[in-house]
Amino acid sequence: MQHRLRIVRMSLAAAILLASLGCHRAELSKPLIVILVPSRDNPFFKAEADAAAARATALGYRVRVDAHDDDAYRQDNLIDAAIASNAAAIILDNAGADSSIAAVRRATKYKIPCFLIDREIDAQGIARAQIIADNNQGARIVAAEFASALGPEGGNYAELLGRESDTNARVRTEGFHAVLDNNPKLVRVSAQSANWSQSEAFEKTETILQSHQGIRGIIAGNDTMALGAVAAVKSSGHTGIIITGFDGSPDAIAAIQAGEMRATTLQPAVVIARMAVDEADAFLKTGSTGKPERQVIPCDLVTRENAADYSNFEKVR
Amino acid sequence: MSSTATLPRSQAANRPALRAALLLLRGRAFFVLIILLALFSAMAPSFLTANNLAILTKHVSISAILAIGMTFVVLTGGIDLSVGSLAGLSGMVIGATLTQGVGFAGSRHFPPVLVGMLIAIAVCLAVGLINGWLVTKAGVAPFIATLGTLYIARGAALLISDGKTFPNLAGQASRGNTGFPLLGQAFFLGLPAPVWIMLVLFALAAFVAAKTPLGRQVYAVGGNERAARLVGIRVSRVILFTYVASAFCASLVGLIIASQLEAAHPATGDSFELNAIAAVVLGGTSLMGGRGSIGGSLIGACVIGVLSDGLVMLGVSEFWQMVIKGSVIIFAVAVDQLQVKLQARILPLISQNRSEVTA
Repeated sequence: MQHRLRIVRMSLAAAILLASLGCHRAELSKPLIVILVPSRDNPFFKAEADAAAARATALGYRVRVDAHDDDAYRQDNLIDAAIASNAAAIILDNAGADSSIAAVRRATKYKIPCFLIDREIDAQGIARAQIIADNNQGARIVAAEFASALGPEGGNYAELLGRESDTNARVRTEGFHAVLDNNPKLVRVSAQSANWSQSEAFEKTETILQSHQGIRGIIAGNDTMALGAVAAVKSSGHTGIIITGFDGSPDAIAAIQAGEMRATTLQPAVVIARMAVDEADAFLKTGSTGKPERQVIPCDLVTRENAADYSNFEKVR
Repeated sequence: MSSTATLPRSQAANRPALRAALLLLRGRAFFVLIILLALFSAMAPSFLTANNLAILTKHVSISAILAIGMTFVVLTGGIDLSVGSLAGLSGMVIGATLTQGVGFAGSRHFPPVLVGMLIAIAVCLAVGLINGWLVTKAGVAPFIATLGTLYIARGAALLISDGKTFPNLAGQASRGNTGFPLLGQAFFLGLPAPVWIMLVLFALAAFVAAKTPLGRQVYAVGGNERAARLVGIRVSRVILFTYVASAFCASLVGLIIASQLEAAHPATGDSFELNAIAAVVLGGTSLMGGRGSIGGSLIGACVIGVLSDGLVMLGVSEFWQMVIKGSVIIFAVAVDQLQVKLQARILPLISQNRSEVTA
């Protein structure tokens, strides 16, 4: 009896395996698009990867999404795997402007076109497209909102900077100051790097509020740090401090709707991801994307007035 | 042999089956490798192509080279957690010598690639010596000593460039330091250069471990350090050798990766030590020391490499990849314990069987 049961169980398992292999084969006949992003548990990169995957699937491609964890060597291996799988195209949010060049060049050598999103590499003419958000313009619009919220009388403010080695941290702070430094009454009394991190921003803001009286605003290089500042301001009992972020994350938009944050800049990650897939599709079908390699997409300002129009890194209304 | 005399008859009759079980257990990493290869070939059609196998062996070579050095350390009952950081440090040193040059007598010199590589290796060997000194002379437990150097080496790698990447390691003809990318990217007789480096290291290490007095002393120290000391083995010197060997392998890995990427990033090699330890353990080397082989570690590295590349090609999500990898490692160590127990029971039976035949 036991023996018979075992045979039944084993043949059932074999049947399931064979059936799944069958489905697998049909799926395998479609061309493959490999999507590589820095991480799959960060909402920004998840939204980007999901949008690219959904568009590619809709266009009739087989899709594989992987994360390189900002590790250039892991990215190198994943590009190798894409080459070995005869991928038709690679959509890449890369692991470093310098350390990704060799990998992109190798994929191109194997006739796999690469479409870069969100971050650039320090080389032209290798990738088919480099589509990035305009961080400088995004920084300017949010800084203008920050300045107008503080009013013509200005006042003291603090700045939370991103990781110092990151190009975007530099571009954003330059954009902020191109606007804020025009008003001599706006005085930056403290500037600290919180390394894009919420907990670090929380601690830094607590210290800043302790050591500087009368701070009227905090401008942060990304939303995670802005939310850290929001928590610190709340726990310190201060009110009326203007806080702005950058990225347009769902958490930040919720904070804007709750009146805890003044504004943020939405990076059009979802739009960029879809554009990259569309251009890959056009390139595979016609041999050309019809666009220049470097494409800079403007960011949107999100305030309480239009916060409801945005969801998951995308304008939905 | 008195215990075997009183064994029940049924167990004695099962000897061939027991022997087969032992064979399966001993070669388990190898069988797992065959099964994985068959499975992935069936499910991903491009898996078993020459192109992919070249890529696969190239990926395997990284953890295999680390595992070869790590095996010596583990055979003495130690552990080397610093290898990942050392790989990162080695890459940063070659990056600095190629792009920044070496300040010497008030002016900048750009040493030839080979000299730069020797400097990188020398820096890592120095850290290996420190590891060995800490373990043997300062009496710091291997786990703690190498945990400390893990942080120190990573910090040093970050300090060299202030956290930045050294780009463009192809070198410049005017400086006479071109050619570095060949180390990681060249092909020789159809195989990538890192695979050849791995094969040469493997042959060398397997020879040292099995055929030289030094190799046998490594086993002796790991098997019973006190006994080894009493028979006159210079235990400190043997242990020192293992950490230096491990650091040497780590420095090679750092150079290969920097060469492949044509860029040196200070975070390179993060958590590589865990892959290397996993490969060593999968290959049947006991973390208690004294038991294991270089060949086993090579197969262990193949299992890890095939598993991670195959899962990527099948499109298994990254989160599941972690779960599966962890399960395979735990399974392997659990089976390892089973083997130890079974071996203790079967070996007397088998040896008695042999003596019956000869008698």
